Amino acid sequence: MSAIKIRNLQKSYRVYQKKEGLGASLAGLFRREYRTVDAVKGIDLDVEGGEFVAFLGPNGAGKTTTLKLLSGVISPSGGEATVLGHVPWRRENDYRRRFALVMGQKNQLWWDLPAQESFKLHQKIYRIDPADFARTRDELVDLLDIRRLLSQPVRELSLGERMKMELTAALLHSPEVLFLDEPTIGLDVVAQHNIQLFLKHYQKVRGITILLTSHYMKDIAALCKRVVVIARGEIVYDGSLAGIVDKFSGHKVLTVQFGGERMPGNLSRYGEVLEEVAPKARLRVDRGEIAKVLSAVLAEHAVDDVSVEDPPLEEVIAEMFARSSDGPAATDLQPVGM
Amino acid sequence: MSYLGVFLTFARNSLIRDMTFRANFIIELISSMSWMAMNLGFYTLVYRYTQNIAGWDKYEFFVFIATTMFVNSLVQAFFMPNAEELSEMVRTGGLDFALLKPIDTQFLVSLQRVNWSSLGNFLVALMLLAYAVPRIEGYQFSLAAAVLYPLYIVAGVLILYSVMITLAATSIWLGRNQSLYDFWFYITNFSRYPMEIYDGPFGKPLQWAFTFIIPILVVINVPAGIMAKPILADNPYGPWLAVFAVLATIAALAFSRWVFQKALGSYRSASS
Repeated sequence: MSAIKIRNLQKSYRVYQKKEGLGASLAGLFRREYRTVDAVKGIDLDVEGGEFVAFLGPNGAGKTTTLKLLSGVISPSGGEATVLGHVPWRRENDYRRRFALVMGQKNQLWWDLPAQESFKLHQKIYRIDPADFARTRDELVDLLDIRRLLSQPVRELSLGERMKMELTAALLHSPEVLFLDEPTIGLDVVAQHNIQLFLKHYQKVRGITILLTSHYMKDIAALCKRVVVIARGEIVYDGSLAGIVDKFSGHKVLTVQFGGERMPGNLSRYGEVLEEVAPKARLRVDRGEIAKVLSAVLAEHAVDDVSVEDPPLEEVIAEMFARSSDGPAATDLQPVGM
Repeated sequence: MSYLGVFLTFARNSLIRDMTFRANFIIELISSMSWMAMNLGFYTLVYRYTQNIAGWDKYEFFVFIATTMFVNSLVQAFFMPNAEELSEMVRTGGLDFALLKPIDTQFLVSLQRVNWSSLGNFLVALMLLAYAVPRIEGYQFSLAAAVLYPLYIVAGVLILYSVMITLAATSIWLGRNQSLYDFWFYITNFSRYPMEIYDGPFGKPLQWAFTFIIPILVVINVPAGIMAKPILADNPYGPWLAVFAVLATIAALAFSRWVFQKALGSYRSASS
């Protein structure tokens, strides 16, 4: 049975179109122009129990909106979704006891108190049995190596330490589904790596379902077998990370190390020259042409070494995002202000 | 029972926090108590020039002030910091987390902070009450009054809470709502005086509106009238006002609940 089932899920916002300048702002007091932003435009998705799925997409693609819909924080404009058999936006306590949402940009722990006090509050709110609570807390705290920080006010912790505390708080009630919205944002490489290791281990041991959004390709490469790419509110890809390259990149990178005295001229007849430092050259060649180009190069020149590679993933994704974010994207949504 | 456990944890955590900022706590305590002392001094001055305001003589009016202090200190301790916080939570998207919790959202949002320093005035009010009551001319102790007084103080607190949370909930629709929140202060100002003073062509409509539409006049007047006089003897509505106050409390709570739930349904969350 699918843990998460989404059918034609939609969310649109009406956004006040603010004009530039004071005069226009004053005019806006009387006549307002609104525009509808379709943040999520009919998503279909099935996630099996125990899957670790990444949402990938540029800012404003609708990733966070989707997670908020699945958490029941906001209600959709259309479509259906169930998580663990519950409709999230009904906000049933039975459902709310079974999942957790962690947002890298927001904290839910009491700022001025040691995290352990917030943990106790979670115990009461989620009605966690005291023995279970102590066991889960100890396990998480040891895994994340934060025991010594438990009695320190949260405001005195580093960003990475705080995120570990947030994760602990979110997992105290042993949720079956976990939504992670950019959990490693702003963290240094070491802290990022630690969080990745923890998530990987925890997901493997507990077999929970995790949906993760991240901008860091490393997070995704380390954690998720399945990647769902969202752009402009629609799913444009659903598959393996490596498959993205096959689908979205129309070219390969050919690296040739020439033998002999000098570099051949006019390399651009084979493809776009990315780099040319004697005796090496890197060329961008259309995927369909690669066999022909390679045999031509080998036939026409003395070659010491040759390699054919896929372009780097980051590059492919940046390219894909650039293509999909032309035109008005639903960036920087804010509630209609007064 | 589990809600009580959650509330006690809120109260406990708030106390731990207050104790972390001890100096701030003491300053808050002193400033709110001296504000009350100044108020008391002001009315002592007023009573140098008159024996009686709208049927309330000096010590009866002191009971009225003590009642105001009880109600205000409870509202400020339990609900005020939370209503203020709600507007902020809407603007920053912090309400997201409240909506995730397997507990009634209105309960969570209304009670998550306790402002302990405001309870200092509660003690001052107790002392003032003990001082003023025996000095009322011809005062007779009645058991009914002693039982009803605290109950009607709680009812008054609940009415003020309802007005406050209703106004605060509108910020869920509006994205931000500072001015309506100020509006709460303006209208509750009216509740701090004996309702008998609202008389004449301007006063009567005010009295009527603030009794039957937004029932803030019963908040202080009913408990104070029960304690200071033989069960609202001088009140224009008489003891019936006490019956009405019960209905008004239930209606106010139900209305605020309805508004709050409606508002949550249209919550749109701030962008990450």
